[in-house]
Amino acid sequence: MSPSDLALRDPVVPEATIARQPDYLHAKQTLSSWFFTTDHKRIGILYLVSITFFFILGAIAAGLIRLSLLVPNGSIFSNDFYDKMFTLHGVIMVWFFLIPSIPNTFGNFLIPLMIGAKDVAFPRLNLMSWYLYMVAALFTLICVVLGGVDTGWTFYTPYSTFYSNSWVLPALIGVVLIGFSSIMTAVNFVVTVHTMRAPGMTWFRMPLFIWSLYATSLIILLATPVLTITLVLLIASRAFGFAVFDPANGGDPVLYQHMFWFYSHPAVYIMVLPGMGVMSELVTAFASKRVFGYRFIAYSSMAIAALSFFVWGHHMFYNGMSESASLTFSILSFTIAVPSAVKVYNWTATIHKGEVRLDTPLLYAMGWIGLFVVGGLTGLFLASLAIDGHVHDTYFVVAHFHYIMVGATVEAFLGALHFWWPKMTGRLYSEAWGRVSAFLTFIGFNVTFFPQFILGYLGMPRRYNTYDPQFQVLNVVSSAGATILAAAYIFPMIYLIYSLFYGERAGPNPWDARGLEWTTTSPPPPHNFETPPIVDFDPYDYPSRAPEGG
Amino acid sequence: MAEHAATVGVEVEEQFFSAEQQRHVATLGMWVFLATELLLFSGMFLVALVLRVLHPASVTAVALHLKFWIGATNAAVLIVSSFTMSLAIEASKAGLRRAMLRFLVATAALGVLFLCLKAYEYYRDWAEHMMPFLPGRPYVLDGDPASRLFTNLYFIITGLHGLHLTVGICLVLGMAFFGRRAGFLSRHQNRVEVLGLYWHFIDLIWLIVFPTLYLLNR
Repeated sequence: MSPSDLALRDPVVPEATIARQPDYLHAKQTLSSWFFTTDHKRIGILYLVSITFFFILGAIAAGLIRLSLLVPNGSIFSNDFYDKMFTLHGVIMVWFFLIPSIPNTFGNFLIPLMIGAKDVAFPRLNLMSWYLYMVAALFTLICVVLGGVDTGWTFYTPYSTFYSNSWVLPALIGVVLIGFSSIMTAVNFVVTVHTMRAPGMTWFRMPLFIWSLYATSLIILLATPVLTITLVLLIASRAFGFAVFDPANGGDPVLYQHMFWFYSHPAVYIMVLPGMGVMSELVTAFASKRVFGYRFIAYSSMAIAALSFFVWGHHMFYNGMSESASLTFSILSFTIAVPSAVKVYNWTATIHKGEVRLDTPLLYAMGWIGLFVVGGLTGLFLASLAIDGHVHDTYFVVAHFHYIMVGATVEAFLGALHFWWPKMTGRLYSEAWGRVSAFLTFIGFNVTFFPQFILGYLGMPRRYNTYDPQFQVLNVVSSAGATILAAAYIFPMIYLIYSLFYGERAGPNPWDARGLEWTTTSPPPPHNFETPPIVDFDPYDYPSRAPEGG
Repeated sequence: MAEHAATVGVEVEEQFFSAEQQRHVATLGMWVFLATELLLFSGMFLVALVLRVLHPASVTAVALHLKFWIGATNAAVLIVSSFTMSLAIEASKAGLRRAMLRFLVATAALGVLFLCLKAYEYYRDWAEHMMPFLPGRPYVLDGDPASRLFTNLYFIITGLHGLHLTVGICLVLGMAFFGRRAGFLSRHQNRVEVLGLYWHFIDLIWLIVFPTLYLLNR
């Protein structure tokens, strides 16, 4: 046997020499290299960890609320404790989970990768935003846990200004601070998308995830300062008796609601638009197909951003607004369903006749479509003046906005986490457990929240810890669903962490997906690309197939 | 005495490909930030408008108590400070470091003059019992409870503007401090331009605040 034949039979594989630089996770491993990093990927990971922590806290509060609602007379906890848990759930979930969730984790991680940049435009500002987030979140958490806040997350006046005896003032300061953190991230994203794109990455070659985050950032920029000033006025009222929102002294409490919802309704789109961006990526990757109607999806993100500023009044149909104003806001609220529906049709059309692989991320995506359609359609019910008159301030509203916020945002967050996990960590997770969790999320969610539509329609008011005994069965079903949902959240935490240590190593592109982030190694090197990319291809350039059945 | 012009430019940070890109990023970043600032102040202008609609007589009563001439002088002071800021930017573009430093210091001095006049105005307000938020101190328009709202709003708006101006003065002085070094203009010239945007913006805000509070309903 000649030596070359021997080599064929027993190939001696030489030790792999690593020519490339270590990836961003292994570049430096000191604690200070994490806490003083300006690498957008590491900041994304910092956000992922801290946001998950606050999500768990908010979820525990939700669990306690559902526990209390098992019985109609509210005897499990004191009224005061219930109110405080209810505020904790709202404040933590809205400001410390939902709003920063997808933008600050996946946006930070992916925007520079997807547009072929080395980092975001202002890396130090990016880190400062995380610190501000942590300071604001911990500060608020301490206030809400030690002192308790019982106003609900909306801080409605005049209760919040003159009557509540809880720690409203410090909680307001915490929310103002988190607003600065949001603004810093949004400034960063807008400037990054405008100026840091790789050569050849034109606006219409950007992934749709970038479009939706760009639209989200614009909303954050224009809406958050209004919330800041509103809360500053509220702080002045509570601390110095400013009274501008107090009817007893000539002020106007509805003015507070206008200013609050001028931020907080667009904030709903801050929560859902990034999820829509995630959807466009997941659907195309797992249908292995060009996205249907790229420009329509891109423009619909911008349309949602623009329209979101003109619908806030539908929170106040029955709070003393004039009929003509109500009618106007009702019509405007209907129009925003159009761009949302455009997206849903386009994703469905993308999946249609694609080479569909029902992997975990796509299961989450499909669940997303189902929940978003229910949430969106019931939104139309609420936009109609007459139906809103019947169901406003009932559990119908609670169910509706949980379908959008939890159904759409959390589902998209989990879908994104599973989709980009190999890129972020370089590891693959257990696909079987992933699918189980995706199914459990969908089932648990519907069991929890669908009964609330019925409860609301039957007239169970929201916010109280007591209810009429006839509603008990559906409340017990809802609480039971919450336990399924809890399991669906706990599973990924376990198998994803497990995969960090024992998961299979992922190649650069485990899903065979398109996009610049899949052209670099997993995990990416500190400056993202070994050589600066030049873009000469369209987004989602999946191989086009000949028409079937021919 | 003619000054020797220094080289002008920016030191490219690692995330950028070119100096031109870095300049563009810095300028755009400041503009985007200023958009959020505008929205911040707009919230208060909205409240001022609502109060004028709800309580026109009370707002007029308060506006008559405000020190029109101090506000007007302050508007003039800030316009001149914008002019000196522009000169500082032009000097930095031309590489005239010492001229730039002088104009920066002049800008900061005008800002301080504004704050001094504002402080004197607050003192006059205090002396005239125009501070309804002080516990235990009688309020001059006590018979008109709705007037408290506009008076308080006046303090919040001018206070927030004063805070922004104070930050601006610190930044201008900081820029002058770091600008003393010889290599400053060759590495960070665009920072002067970006700071200039912020400064002009604070002046612009005052030009909206002044008529909103002092002139309308007078």
